[in-house]
Amino acid sequence: MSHETINLTLKIWRQPNAEVEGRFEEYKLEGVSTHASFLEMLDILNDELIEEGKEPVAFDHDCREGICGMCGMMINGQAHGPDNETTTCQLHMRRFQHNDKITIEPWRATAFPVIKDLVVDRSAFDRIITAGGYVSVNTGNAPDANTIPIPRKDQQKAMDAASCIGCGACVAACKNASAMLFTSAKVSQLALLPHGKSERGERVLKMVAKMDEEKFGSCTNTGECEAACPAGISLDNIARMNREYLKATLCSTES
Amino acid sequence: MNWLIRALSSSLGKKYVMGITGLLLCGFLITHLAGNLLLFVGAEEFNHYAHTLHEQKALLAVAEVGLFVLFVAHLILAVVTTWENKSARKQDYDVNQSKQGTPLLTFFPHNWMWITGVIVLGFILLHLVDFRLGIRNPGPEGEEPFDKAVRLLRDPITFCAYIAGVIVLGFHLSHGFSSAFQSLGLSHPKYNKFIKCAGTSFAVIVAVGFASFPLWAVLFQ
Amino acid sequence: MAIAEPSISNILDSKIPDGPIEDKWDKCKFDLKLVNPSNKRKFNIIVVGTGLAGGAAAATLGELGYNVKSFCIQDSPRRAHSIAAQGGINAAKNYPNDGDSIWRLFYDTVKGGDFRSREANVYRLAQVANNIIDQCTAQGVPFAREYGGYLMNRSFGGAQVSRTFYCRGQTGQQLLLGAYQSLMRQVSAGKVNIYSRREMLDVIIIDGKARGIITRNLVTGEFETHIADAVVLATGGYGNAWYLSTNGNGSNVTAAWRCHKKGAFFANPCFTQIHPTCIPRSGDYQSKLTLMSESLRNDGRVWVPKRKDDNRPAKDIPDNERDYYLERRYPSFGNLAPRDIASRAAKLECDKGHGVNDTGQAVYLDFRDAIARDGEDVVRSKYGNLFHMYKKITGDDPYHVPMQIYPAVHYTMGGLWVDYHLQTTIPGLYALGEANFSDHGANRLGASALMQGLADGYFVIPYTIGDHLARHSFEKITEDHDACREALENAKGRVNKIMSIGGNRTPNQFHKELGGILWDYVGMERTKAGLETAIEKVQGLRSEFWEDLKIVGKNEELNQVLEKAGRVADYMEFAELIATDALNREESCGGHFRSEHQTADNEAMRHDDEFAYVAAWEFNGVGEKPSLHKEQLEFKNVPLATRSYK
Repeated sequence: MSHETINLTLKIWRQPNAEVEGRFEEYKLEGVSTHASFLEMLDILNDELIEEGKEPVAFDHDCREGICGMCGMMINGQAHGPDNETTTCQLHMRRFQHNDKITIEPWRATAFPVIKDLVVDRSAFDRIITAGGYVSVNTGNAPDANTIPIPRKDQQKAMDAASCIGCGACVAACKNASAMLFTSAKVSQLALLPHGKSERGERVLKMVAKMDEEKFGSCTNTGECEAACPAGISLDNIARMNREYLKATLCSTES
Repeated sequence: MNWLIRALSSSLGKKYVMGITGLLLCGFLITHLAGNLLLFVGAEEFNHYAHTLHEQKALLAVAEVGLFVLFVAHLILAVVTTWENKSARKQDYDVNQSKQGTPLLTFFPHNWMWITGVIVLGFILLHLVDFRLGIRNPGPEGEEPFDKAVRLLRDPITFCAYIAGVIVLGFHLSHGFSSAFQSLGLSHPKYNKFIKCAGTSFAVIVAVGFASFPLWAVLFQ
Repeated sequence: MAIAEPSISNILDSKIPDGPIEDKWDKCKFDLKLVNPSNKRKFNIIVVGTGLAGGAAAATLGELGYNVKSFCIQDSPRRAHSIAAQGGINAAKNYPNDGDSIWRLFYDTVKGGDFRSREANVYRLAQVANNIIDQCTAQGVPFAREYGGYLMNRSFGGAQVSRTFYCRGQTGQQLLLGAYQSLMRQVSAGKVNIYSRREMLDVIIIDGKARGIITRNLVTGEFETHIADAVVLATGGYGNAWYLSTNGNGSNVTAAWRCHKKGAFFANPCFTQIHPTCIPRSGDYQSKLTLMSESLRNDGRVWVPKRKDDNRPAKDIPDNERDYYLERRYPSFGNLAPRDIASRAAKLECDKGHGVNDTGQAVYLDFRDAIARDGEDVVRSKYGNLFHMYKKITGDDPYHVPMQIYPAVHYTMGGLWVDYHLQTTIPGLYALGEANFSDHGANRLGASALMQGLADGYFVIPYTIGDHLARHSFEKITEDHDACREALENAKGRVNKIMSIGGNRTPNQFHKELGGILWDYVGMERTKAGLETAIEKVQGLRSEFWEDLKIVGKNEELNQVLEKAGRVADYMEFAELIATDALNREESCGGHFRSEHQTADNEAMRHDDEFAYVAAWEFNGVGEKPSLHKEQLEFKNVPLATRSYK
């Protein structure tokens, strides 16, 4: 592993809290190892800022291995940066050139208000799941796991959908800030598995209603969410949700 | 009826209606195109077709009202969803860049649905003003449909507007057609490519087909 | 009932029921006092942490009818670090028909833990593991399936049967999302309230019972008092004390440590698992280490150059100048030697100067022979995603250049001492999952952490907590109660103290330095002198911390520097306890290796006659020597034996 270092100009969105207007600030950062991850690059910047007595840039992060879904920012206009199927924490500085200028912005959506700098409030996702993104089974109720065989292809498709890490990149990348990819991934997973089938109609109606209520935009089938998704969630899930919703609407028992 | 109101006011419901009305309007485009192609066959045939059509007063009234409803529904939902979508992100990004493998984000038709929709609306209004209402460029009393078509299409403003209008319409359709299938959930990895191809082909046929009339009128009449 | 003899400890009552080990859990459940279903809604329970243990516990307690408040430091309960577990979850379903049984899972786990876990707890764990698989499947967890639609298993270290259920390399994620969804269902039912972006800073104790917690709202900086009838801690492990670990950056010891300071004993803090296959450090900026699944050692060969400081690229070093040291030292297990042993062997080679990488702190994990034997496609189908991840992080392509790996702190077996009910020494305060000490002894086997977290959360705490609630009366208290005020002032005071230092060094710099001390002296190999040095250095660094810490921003807003400082402050105190425990344990077992106690060929030497006990430490003040309480361990079902992998 050979080491190279690069110098960068960072244009970062700074906003003290939700009530105050934000603005961009520029920082120069020198001698960043190309082996550092993007978040480690921000760590270096933050340590420098603290030493200068300035407030460091707030950003969400936790596992730093691409699975918790906590990190996420717009890097030069791309959710999680230039690499496909990669979270911000897994993006490494070797992807950038010496003297690059990098613009870093928070996810922007009415449903994701900025808390501070690059930290946004994604609790709308939790509320969508709360509306119906589960199987109603109490602990202790379950029969033996092998009682209902699940065709492997269904299990695989369900697993593809279940891989969503809930980071919000789909919303951030969509020009309408739509949460269709996120919502449809959960709807798909549970619609594909026999255990989730008994409440599938009710589930999709409730989750979509909640999604609308949270002020996400609607889907115009541009596919930008799929391209930005670090977990590789497919647009097919959106089609499946559209189908589920149509079916549920036509067959529901409400008057 | 609560369920219907609820469904139609949801984001998915609106998209269903957008998709269905869009596809039905595509159906209209096909019949309109087929009828117009009689221009190439000859004046007599075209006039015969036009007169026969205009004699079906009841049918025509129903069709016109139906078309109007489809069109207005499509239009209103476009306005409503666009407004909602704009308010879903009040502050735009400083930098925008697609991750779909091309830096030329602006070339994707899907980013232009609103603009192309508005242009198509203008084009259609002009078309109605010319042909249906005969306000802008009224012809002599008792003018045959064939002559009227040629006269209007040879008008320089009409000519340019029509060529531009149908190209923009094609652009609109190239996303709208396949998108309607996705919105209605009529999508499957196995058929998606076909639907996409069909959408593009349809857009090209409509654009080329309708553009051929003004060109024909100017070049050969 | 207690197995501990009075001569060893007169305090610790492990509450292990009498009778044969198979019947203990049934007997315990029968003896537990119950809370009438209609009375459950009168009780409030606080659950701190939303990982596998906490999420499962909060959801299940909500289902039972209790009012639950669930707390997490992340923005959503779905993000707890359980999510990063890759490999799988064990259960003795015996679906592969290869001779597995509850007894065998129990046996493997006790042996794998190097005989430092509590037999009764481990047996219960093995018993309820099967129910976990059923429960998770019913929740919609997409476990891997055979073509016929039935569940599939894979093999893992430390066992000779296939008993590991998995969801690709994302088992932890899927199990956690299953628990999270159950939790959100209870939120929807109004039985659970979620308090995210909250950090627990103190526990409220009234009449000797845990009655609530103090939290800081991480967004507003507000200090909040939450009152309840019982408190459940599921706050994970303390691997981040070492600064660099495979843990998430947010994982910390603060909640557990603050409870320890209020009277909860801390057990076996020196038992730390160092995982052998992690991507090595590449520079000083490094913020975490990434685990590469243990499964890679099935086909990869571990080696170092025979010549010291050999700088040639790996491909230029011929076979006869390579030392495949695991194969040499452990011919029968070879590259699949258990985690503790493989880790120590790597360290030994690097210490001798055979390490590779710029830092000399790495060994090769080479797939050259596997690729030559099976072809690149076969290797890709087995490990493609891991190779991809490795390349993303290091920029090297493991299909052509051997991987470089080095051990890293991964899991902590030690934790708050709990009895069979998972209750700490503070009545009404429970500890689940990695936060307690009970099930893994001195070394945890792969795919057992998920099993324990969910067992504790779904199937143990829902029963045992009722006993506490049914047996005691709970006076109505308000935030004005003296104990609440005192805890609140205590929490505020500490934050204010941190804010007022006005020094020059950032919390991160202190953390890095502390981690360095722990890694050097309380890492894979420990000595008496080294541990004494560590204690001295930690004490010195702690005084510097309180004099020279620099914080920017204020308390009344999202302040990640302040959050970090609070956690580092606790590590500064806790690190001393780790070293103290390691110093006390004059033996080598599992993840704890004392150089003084090894065989002639560098293998661990246990001293069962002296140290077959749980070391539970009682807090006596910062910088004061803690008191040791011993819980004697008895091995009636799995006879004590020396582990050998030669």
